[in-house]
Formats: sequence, C-alpha cells, structure tokens
Amino acid sequence: MALSLPPGLTHAEVSFLAEMETVTIVPRQRLDSIDLLSGKTPSLRPPHRVDLSLWLALLLKKQRRANIVPPPWLHPASLSEIVQRETKENPTAFSEPPPVPSRPNIHQPGIAARQNNNETVQLSPPFQASCTADAPAGYLPYHWMEVAEMLLTFAGDDMISLGSAGEIRGLLRDLTEVRAAKMRDSTKTLGADGENVGGVVSLRGVGAMELAENRGFILGVVDGMRRIGASVEATRREQEEEMGGPGGGGGGGGRGDDGDDDSDEDMGI
Amino acid sequence: MPMYGDLGNKLALHAKRTQNLAHLPPYQAELVRAVTREVRDLDKEVTTLLEPFQGSFDPAADHATACTLLVNHLSMRRNKRCLLAYHRTRTDKLEEHVWNGVDVLDLVAQQQAGGGNGAAISGEGGASSSLSPQEEDYVRQYGDLLAAYKGQWTDIDLTGSLEPPRDLFIDVRVLKDAGEIQTEYGYVAAVHGSSRICCAGH
Amino acid sequence: MDIDDILREVDPTFHSIPKEKQDLQELTRAWIAERSAPELLPWPPNGLFERINDNIKSQIEKVEEMTGDMDPRTNFALIVIQTELERYKYLVRSYLRARIAKIDKHTLHYLSTDNLRSRLSEMELAYATRHQALLHNHYLSSFLSSFPPQLQNLNDAAGINMVETPDLDAAVFIRLLKDVFVEGRGVDSDVTMDGRESDIVILRWSDAKPLVEAGQAELV
Repeated sequence: MALSLPPGLTHAEVSFLAEMETVTIVPRQRLDSIDLLSGKTPSLRPPHRVDLSLWLALLLKKQRRANIVPPPWLHPASLSEIVQRETKENPTAFSEPPPVPSRPNIHQPGIAARQNNNETVQLSPPFQASCTADAPAGYLPYHWMEVAEMLLTFAGDDMISLGSAGEIRGLLRDLTEVRAAKMRDSTKTLGADGENVGGVVSLRGVGAMELAENRGFILGVVDGMRRIGASVEATRREQEEEMGGPGGGGGGGGRGDDGDDDSDEDMGI
Repeated sequence: MPMYGDLGNKLALHAKRTQNLAHLPPYQAELVRAVTREVRDLDKEVTTLLEPFQGSFDPAADHATACTLLVNHLSMRRNKRCLLAYHRTRTDKLEEHVWNGVDVLDLVAQQQAGGGNGAAISGEGGASSSLSPQEEDYVRQYGDLLAAYKGQWTDIDLTGSLEPPRDLFIDVRVLKDAGEIQTEYGYVAAVHGSSRICCAGH
Repeated sequence: MDIDDILREVDPTFHSIPKEKQDLQELTRAWIAERSAPELLPWPPNGLFERINDNIKSQIEKVEEMTGDMDPRTNFALIVIQTELERYKYLVRSYLRARIAKIDKHTLHYLSTDNLRSRLSEMELAYATRHQALLHNHYLSSFLSSFPPQLQNLNDAAGINMVETPDLDAAVFIRLLKDVFVEGRGVDSDVTMDGRESDIVILRWSDAKPLVEAGQAELV
C-alpha cells in the first residue's frame, strides 16, 4: 500500500508543520542571504532582529549563530492570564485564537484591510506569524503546544528571560489539563450522552496537537452516532420532505449507509 | 451435506487472516479451484432448471423453482466476491512489498532453492512458492508500473520515508549523545530520509 | 516588472506575499487536505506541483554544485538548503502517496465517470488505468476466465454493486477562512451556524466540501 496512515495528521506530522511557524531571532554571527525554495532568507547582521522559520531558527540556535526571541504569548504573565480565562471566565470554551493580522490598504488609505486580498493565497497557520516577537500576548497560536515544547527544549536558555523554565512548564501543564477536559466535554455536544445530535460542532481556539490527540476518538464518536442514527435520520428527512419542511441540508453528496454486515464487506475487490 | 458457500467462506477467512499477517501465506490453489468449480456447477444447474421453460419462466407461478434460482444466483455472486476479496487482499500485500522495496520474487527464489529446510521466509510453504504463478507475473508487472510512475518524480524519491524529516540539528544531538565530538564548525550529519551523508566544515 | 514590484517601490508598507511563500502555503494546505479528506481531491489545476517539482530539481542541482566547493562559509548555507530540500521532498512525497493510496483503494470508482477522472493528474490517470488493467488480468488468469461469461464482469450492474466508494459522510475538521454560514446535517437536526473566520468546526465531509471548494474553509 502506498500509504497506510489513518486520515488526519499524525503527531510527528503536526510537529513538522509547527516547525514552519515564524519566529524572531537575534543573530550572533553574520550570514548572507540564502536562496531557499521558500524564498531568500534575510541576511543576518548582529544585532539586528529578523523573522524566519522555526526550523531554521533552531538550526541557527544549535550552531550558536543566533538566539531566539521568546514569543510574547509564552511569557508567564500571558500564560497565567490565559489559564485564568480558561478556568474562571470561560470554563466551557477554548480561549480566542490570535487575531488575523491586518495591514493598511494603500488603495483605500486609512482603512485597514486583511493582510490577504483576493489575488493572493490566504495564509493560515503555521504561516500567520503568530510566534514572532510582534505577536500579541494573551492568545495561544494554533501550534502553541509544539512551539512551546521545541523552544523550551532546544532554546531553553533564550526563554529564561521570561522566568524560570519550571514556571513556564507548570503553566503549560495547567493549560494542557484544563483544555483536555474541555476536549472531553465536547463529545457531549456530539451527542455521546444521548442528547440531540446536530450537524455542526465548533471547537474555536483548539490547538493542532490537541486535535491530533483527539481526532480518532472524536471522529469515531461522530461517525458512530451517524451510523447508529442512520434510520432515525432517514425517517426524519422523509417526514420533513412530506411536510415540505426545512430545506436546509446540503442535499446529495452522501450515499446511504449500507448496513451490510457481510464480514468480507471491507475487503475490497 | 456441505452447503453452497462454505468454501467461499473459507476463502474469505483466509483473506481476513492474511490482512493481519506480515508475510504472505501460501496461495490456496485447491480452494480457489473448488470455489470456481462451484460457480460453474451452480450456473449449470440454473441453465438446467430454466431449460424446460424456454425463456418464459414466471416466478409467481413456480415459487420453489424461483427460490432455488435466487439462492443459486446469490451463491454465485457471493463466491465471486469471496474470490475477488481473497485475490485482492493478496495483491495488496504484494504491492506493499513492492512499495517497501522488498524483492518478492527474489524471496521466492531463495525459498525454493533453500528447499524444505530453508529459512521458510513465507511460512509453511516448504519447497513450493507461496505465490501462484499468476501472482509472480503480477508482482513483476506492478513493479514495472510503479517504477514508471516513480520515474516521473525522481527528485522526491517517491518510495522514501513517510516519517517527517527530523531536522539536521536533531541528528546532531543524537550524534553528540552517542559520544561524537562536535567541532566549532563541522560535524557529521545524516540527512534523514535519504542516503546522502553530509560532511560539513572539514 | 509587475504591479507588485512597482507598488513595493513607491510604498514600502506594501508587502504582498512572495510567490514562494504562497506556493508553500498552497502545498502545505493541499497536503493536509489530502491527508484528511475521505476521498481523493482534485489535482491542483494551476501547475503548483509541476512548478514545485521543477524548483526542487534546480535546488538539487545547486546542492551538487555547492558540494564541490568546500568553503566552510558556504557550507552552512548548504546544510540549510539541504534541510529545507528534505522538507519539501517529504511534503510532495507524502502528498502523492496519500493520493495513490486513495486511488488504489477505489480505482474503479475514480475511473467510473469523466468528472471523477478529472481529479487525477495525467500521470495518476495513466497509473490507475494500468493498475486496474493489471488487476483485472490477474483475476481473469487466476479464476475469472473459468466463470460463465455473464459473471466475468467486474462491475456488476445488477444485484450488489461491487464498486466500492469512499464514505463521503465521514466527519472532518475544517478551519473557516472567511466569515460564512456553515450548514451541517445531523441525526436529529440540521444546523446552520453563523461561522467566523478561524473557527474550527466538526461536520460531515459532504457538508464541508462546498466550503472547501469555494476557498471559504480548509481541512485541518
């Protein structure tokens, strides 16, 4: 088989993705611009800060050619604020993701427009620069868990300026726990407790690694509920159709679930 | 009295078991022949049953015959599905070997040369190949097909690792842990997922 | 010189996203989508992979040139270039193989209509057609040729359909790229959600698909 991985990214793939986040470094050595597939790197002239990909920053760090500037959200004050928010202010939802960056629009001076207009591809994490020195404090970026882990492991001495590594790790652990509980509770909205099973569930603010961790379980629950409820759903749709009821629904697309229980059903031909 | 479909079930079980095995168990030539024969017998029976009606059979008028026809019909289809599933499970396995760069035919040759005493790479096959001659052909042809497709993407090494590359710095760390001395500029690093060894700064 | 270059010169605050970064975003997005969607997605029509493959090729040539040059200063650059190269190669490889795995699993399905066939690249179409022919041949020579003629077909129209199809109602995660209404069918009720950009939503792929195709959402 060409690929035997289950659908959705694995932990290793998510980490790989997180290494494409942009961080800020302070060069310790000069280095001329390098012509990479992803574009030219900025030339390094100590002590001028530049932004570049995390994987490259870590490579430079390992060679003692640069120090990494901690992203503001990793500051203990910022982390405690988020823990506070996640536990006290909003104990059911994840905290807000970082705001989408905007820039002044030269076509309409004075009006800020989204950084990406229609002609260009719209950027999303890990390409949204939410881990640079300019990123706002108080928001967890999509790859918060992986980036924090890599920075603390491979650039721990650069993170010391924030506070002790123990303090930061402690706060990250608190955050992980609070959010894991929320993740578990989300299956209730998915109908696992026998309540109304709707068609859309939002997990706004969830992180990439948290998704990877729970993907199999959550999708298993949703798909399982759909299979168990297939006849209930079919009956409901028939009734709604008879009553000329709510149009809604995306129509078409799905094939009926074949309840065929032949043991060779999944073997293909 | 053995029921129609028993042999098909046996094949389906073989297929199911094969899915979870690392190696390919011997091809069930006898069973495949028997199931195929059953399909032909069933078909003959259908023809014989329908003969007296000369194309004007009315199922409503003769329930017993209609029922037999239906059972025969379903049994033939079921047997066909079992045969397809059995063969597909095995070609899937063979393709997996081709993707992983395992020379299946070479294994077979070794196995045959080694005789009953050999390393028995593919299980209880003994001196005979665990592949059918048709499967040996298939492996060869699929190998050619994959090589042709791969050839369009030579630079990315299509059959290479599906683990994300761990960056050089991690390899450096591993080497260091293993007692390698990292010099000021140079170190030896293996680029993960490729055979290239890169020597820097010497 | 195109309009972006002119704008950049007259107004330093204007920074459109460089082509290379756009390509990387698109490559990454296509990879994640293909790894997550229950069915094969269309091969990008804009020559993205052909372009990236060409760039990889010339980068490899550059590495070969640089390897001859043992100046320690260009050497670090070489490590950086090779590290990045491995990352790109991995992305393209994993993407192509995720696609081939889907094509192999449901070959007859993806070859069954022009619409489905158009999702495959030219090379994939050639691969799938040949692969199916090899399999059919293999079945024929192994048992199918001894069958009664009316049973030799692989795609029996009557009775049970032997062509397996992907489960289009399988649940997926998407991220909204725009503020948009999200309609999702459920067992007990169908829901319309007033979605905001950056929302991460669980729903059936068949409901997510129109949003993804319109560029209003991406798979995560």
